[in-house]
Amino acid sequence: MVNTVDFRELLKNKEFVLLDGAMGTLIQKSGVEYDSVPETLNITHPELIKSFHKAYVCAGADVVYANTFGANAYKLKDCGYTVEEIIGAGVRNAKEAVSGTGALVALDLGPVGQLMEPAGAMTFEQAYEYYKQQIVAGSDADLIVFETMTDLFELKAAVLAAKENSDKPIVATMSFEANGRTFTGVLPACAAVTLTGLGVDAVGVNCSLGPAELEPVIAEMSRYTELPLVIKANAGLPDPNSNEYDVLPDDFAESLQNLLKYGIKVIGGCCGTTPEYIEKVRDMTEKNKYQPQKKCVDTTVCSASTAVEINGPRIIGERINPTGKKLFKQALVDNNIDYILTQALSQVSGGAEILDVNVGHPEIDEKQMMVRVLKAIQSVCDAPLQIDSTKPDVLEAGLRHYNGKPIVNSVNGEEASLSAVLPLVKKYGASVVGLTLDENGIPKTANGRFAIAKRIVERAEAVGIDRRDVYIDCLTLTVSAEQEACRETLDALHRVKTELGCKTCLGVSNISFGLPNRELVTRTFLTMALEQGLDLPIINPNIDSITGAVRAYRVLANIDKNSVEFINAYNDAAPCAPVKNPSDTDIDIFTAVYSGLKSEGATITRKLLDENIDAMQIVNEMLIPALDRVGDDFEKNKIFLPQLIQSANTAQECFEVIKAHISKTDGNTVSKGKIILATVKGDIHDIGKNIVKVLLDNYGYTVVDLGRDVDPQLIVDTAVEQNIKMIGLSALMTTTLKSMEDTIKLVRERKELQNEDGSSKCVIFVGGAVLTKEYAMKIGADYYCKDAKESVDTAKLVLG
Amino acid sequence: MITLEKLNRSEAIRYLGGAGIQMNDQMEVLMDECEKMVLEKAAPKFLYIELDLPCDTIMGGRDIANHLDGCEKAILMCATLGAEIDKLIRISQISDMAKAVVLDSFASVAVEQVCNKVDEIIAEKYDGYNMTFRFSPGYGDYPISLQQDFLRMLDAPRKIGLTTNENFLLMPTKSVTAVMGLSKNPIERKKRGCAICNMRGKCRFRKNGEHCGL
Repeated sequence: MVNTVDFRELLKNKEFVLLDGAMGTLIQKSGVEYDSVPETLNITHPELIKSFHKAYVCAGADVVYANTFGANAYKLKDCGYTVEEIIGAGVRNAKEAVSGTGALVALDLGPVGQLMEPAGAMTFEQAYEYYKQQIVAGSDADLIVFETMTDLFELKAAVLAAKENSDKPIVATMSFEANGRTFTGVLPACAAVTLTGLGVDAVGVNCSLGPAELEPVIAEMSRYTELPLVIKANAGLPDPNSNEYDVLPDDFAESLQNLLKYGIKVIGGCCGTTPEYIEKVRDMTEKNKYQPQKKCVDTTVCSASTAVEINGPRIIGERINPTGKKLFKQALVDNNIDYILTQALSQVSGGAEILDVNVGHPEIDEKQMMVRVLKAIQSVCDAPLQIDSTKPDVLEAGLRHYNGKPIVNSVNGEEASLSAVLPLVKKYGASVVGLTLDENGIPKTANGRFAIAKRIVERAEAVGIDRRDVYIDCLTLTVSAEQEACRETLDALHRVKTELGCKTCLGVSNISFGLPNRELVTRTFLTMALEQGLDLPIINPNIDSITGAVRAYRVLANIDKNSVEFINAYNDAAPCAPVKNPSDTDIDIFTAVYSGLKSEGATITRKLLDENIDAMQIVNEMLIPALDRVGDDFEKNKIFLPQLIQSANTAQECFEVIKAHISKTDGNTVSKGKIILATVKGDIHDIGKNIVKVLLDNYGYTVVDLGRDVDPQLIVDTAVEQNIKMIGLSALMTTTLKSMEDTIKLVRERKELQNEDGSSKCVIFVGGAVLTKEYAMKIGADYYCKDAKESVDTAKLVLG
Repeated sequence: MITLEKLNRSEAIRYLGGAGIQMNDQMEVLMDECEKMVLEKAAPKFLYIELDLPCDTIMGGRDIANHLDGCEKAILMCATLGAEIDKLIRISQISDMAKAVVLDSFASVAVEQVCNKVDEIIAEKYDGYNMTFRFSPGYGDYPISLQQDFLRMLDAPRKIGLTTNENFLLMPTKSVTAVMGLSKNPIERKKRGCAICNMRGKCRFRKNGEHCGL
């Protein structure tokens, strides 16, 4: 039976909503025995659990948390009960305990207990399924609480599971360490922004620290959300010896009183707290008033670890986009994610604060690729992302798998676009770029574009999107083609900014297409647009003068106070190394590669090509012999592994120069053949595999890197699809050698990978610390390679 | 609370396979930089609990039984450098693989140093006891699957963010779980040695005539 009082009404009507205190602490104090899973007490000792709930209600709690915190399929695996049994009993106990008191019962859910990608192996879908099962099992509860969460992505999966499988109110609290972050690096600001976007009813903190230590966390959250804040602090810190907590009930309540100014409305206790603490909190709240926060930040986008407030021009990097880029297109087709990651990292170091991500290409599955690329970028880069696609299903897949609050690029004034994209933006709590075009194309005049902007904003507000989260793009047209259009764009931008109160966004680079000295035109246009109120220039951040123009504007417009950011960007820059004129240096390409001198290697290669020396001659007669020499020395224990890699990277730079040269001259790429590399299912150690990859790359092989923890089926399917004859597998643990064996078996069984006589078309080489040659042969591999160097030797032998 | 101030460079060099290799300036610079980065990103955390022996939940195989032979108590411990280190190594694998390899070595050194400090803290607390070396799941016939149970007993996922995946590998990766025996009576000062090592016969240290040091 669902209670007639609703949690949302409590939030609206009561000054404060009181939660219960710790369950675990009471269980411990009672001395009751249980076998590793405390939730089994719901079934073995229901009266005891009920007595705890009753004690908290007597102390003043409006809401009790059912004893279901760890009741998920992963943690209950060996306990002898199902999730449904434990959660069913947990909610029932709580319901019976509060019966007749008006108190509500929360289905209390904690982390699954496994780390998610990229730090761990659990996928978004797996996390979602764990929570979905719990939410369905706990359907008799009055509300759903997620607490002690440390991974914002897991929490997002949980919240979506709740929203898509129930209509109950949701409370979400995370646990922060003394350094102000969760274990996975989540900032309070990012939690507040993302969860507010996802539409939870209250957001806050629980566990890990006492109320006084949580002040900075609560203070930060309070600036980033208008939702009622929740705090369920520990009774201070545990004594390492006695495990007793050091804050007493009176002090606990007093510390909380000091935090009310941040907008706290929902209060309870976590580890170490008992009914006595809740009583004191009740007494304290009766003497106080709820003080809703005065939100001071502007619209903000974020990853899990970086929040970017759009309170002045912020740079969106444009380079993750295949349009007009041959190498990028090729990388997409080859599934070369590292290429894209390199683009991401270099844009951030160039000054990008947000990255646009577009992977649209007719030869690939854009939806799959979007998810893969978003996950990969988020694993190495903290900048918030802008999900860029014309297809709503790609946008939705991206939004689901994005950890934080992204920008959607884009919606436009067409009815089909408005009705497909805006509901997604609302559901996933994103911001959105609104393009001022519609069924009739791009209006010529500023008035026409303004009218579309107005329509987009109205439609966004109609589905519940705050207009501050709509970033209008008044569209840049090429000035060499339509010279009068530039003024219209700028006028429209100005009107949108001043009359609609929206943020504005603009792809800037297009302005100069077809003109000489594009950089000058682009930069001048950018400066004009900034002065008209442009907030989000989408630019190439690796062009110094363009990024510099934005930085300088921030100083001149009095946004970058005391020029702090500007000075940091330019003053701290390492003193430039004297630029060596390559003609002055007497080192040759062999020395450059052998000593691992990257930039010298590239310069010399360029020089050789300019002298019309054949590209393949450079590869075969200079680069490969140099690499071979390095490999020999490594084998003879004369140099370190990092030196081998530095040499390989230098060769890589040389190859890049050659590749660019060849694709310019005859369009062919140099590849000696494709090789799949993967760390096998279950294993997460990929550094060895990545070293092999660097070397193979540099010897001119095309590596299809499937990553770590790779499903055998994916390896086999990729080999079939891309007609690949050589596969390298890596495993570091004895426990995952079995996966290696399974993978080899699957490759051998697949018909398409067999010759007519049934023999295998694929050559499989394996490596990894625990492998031996004998074992490799035993599980059916063709070659055992003890290190990266041997992998290259094997590739040469097999593919030439 | 453990803070690391310096990392053992010669250990890191050994992990890089480097006994007897001449260091050059470029390597020195790289090592300096990587040591600094690891020290900056490492957030050492540890937990331990005391168990009375015999304790079935931590047993599995003959080697641990030998190890704890004659001990009255065992300490179950875990330690981690945290998730930031994994991220650092992940990023450098994209931008600079050579650096990634050196970072990885230093991180391994760092987690070992953290464990040594935990040893000291425990030895101080259990003054009057003799203590065995750390014995970890995965040594000899001691099942690696126990890591999951250990973390549960230590409440490690909640308290320090240390978890296992479905194959019982620790995440964050630069982490350790181990058991030490305590006895009022003198115990043989065993070293881990090669005899129980599952890398026996495959170990690159031994091939170079070295030891891993454990």
